[in-house]
Amino acid sequence: MGSFYSDHRTWLHAVAAPLKLLLLAVVGTALYVFNSPVVLLACASLCLLLFASLGRATLPARKLLIMVVAAGLLITAFHAYLQQPLVGVISALRLLSASLLGIALMLTTRANDLLDVLESLLSPLNRFGIHSNALALQVALMLRFTEHFFIQWKRLDDAHRVRTGKAGGFKLLAPLTIRMLTSAQRVADALELRLPP
Amino acid sequence: MRLNCGFHPEFPDRLKPFNMTSSRSSGLAYVSLFAALVAVFGLIPKIDLPLGVPITLQTLGVMLAGCMLGPKKALQALLLFLLAVAVGLPLLSGGRGGLGVFVAPSSGYLIGFPIGALATGLLMAYLPVNSPRRAAVSAFVASAVGGVLAIHVCGVIGLVTLAKLSWTQAFWGTLVFVPGDLIKCVLCAIVVHSVARGLPDWRFGGRSFQ
Repeated sequence: MGSFYSDHRTWLHAVAAPLKLLLLAVVGTALYVFNSPVVLLACASLCLLLFASLGRATLPARKLLIMVVAAGLLITAFHAYLQQPLVGVISALRLLSASLLGIALMLTTRANDLLDVLESLLSPLNRFGIHSNALALQVALMLRFTEHFFIQWKRLDDAHRVRTGKAGGFKLLAPLTIRMLTSAQRVADALELRLPP
Repeated sequence: MRLNCGFHPEFPDRLKPFNMTSSRSSGLAYVSLFAALVAVFGLIPKIDLPLGVPITLQTLGVMLAGCMLGPKKALQALLLFLLAVAVGLPLLSGGRGGLGVFVAPSSGYLIGFPIGALATGLLMAYLPVNSPRRAAVSAFVASAVGGVLAIHVCGVIGLVTLAKLSWTQAFWGTLVFVPGDLIKCVLCAIVVHSVARGLPDWRFGGRSFQ
């Protein structure tokens, strides 16, 4: 998660993390409320403008953006094949808007700032005996593991390609699962040492 | 280092079963890991059906959480995932997130995720897992009941109350997903079989170490 942060300062770096997260939550909800392709197209254009305004800071996310666009095109093509092209366009526009905002947030906000926001949002739960700091730590671990899944898959796939010349596909599912479980065990060991009793 | 794991400090590392760090730390790590797994499955592009319900791989994550972690931690993992979705992270298939997804036609399925994980975990805790093959068969049965039946019951209730469909329409509508979900049960069983062979000390269904 932290690896996307861009040190190239932009105007969005100066905006407070809670405000950016609030915007993402509001737009994420609004994207689902509206079904009109015109409204969603306008929303996607605004998101694209906001993303483009970050200039050189967007360079680390270029590959990810290409993947999002490719996924959007695939979704549209598949729905066109199912005789419902409009549903495909709506899905693709939602995906593009949400992804652009999500990437912009990750590029311009440090992971620690996001976790502070989350911890303060969850603090009312302390009254019910739920530790907000433990919950924030779990969300942080979840996001870190999400990235780690892709890293481990890439490593296993590269190793498989070197050995056989072909992509690993489903054959990698078992080693990936075992690797991820052992990684989680190592994280648990590290937490055991670092967390207060 | 692991004085609180219940073994003598001199107990050799190689003889310690896998997963013997205290339940609090391992709970934190595994709950986060399986919440991440559901999120990863959500990043794979979804396909929408005319009913307003998407086909996704996320129910496979629900099944795996129930089989691998047991009822309590699986429930925690899915609640953690839903919490992250509720605060606006675009972790649902198609980049959806925010509170709006909890009032959509498919929200019954979403609320069914933690219930399905709990049901899968409860069943897995009681079914036999003393050999990789038995663990795989148990995983298939537990996922079929928890990951398919429980989630679809919640989904149908959601479709009836939120999409205003009749019970019959909702029932036939949800049946479209069942063949795909049974394939996910087979995938879940294959993964459980691999883990049972690769990590023989793994405690399926969250059962206590024997």
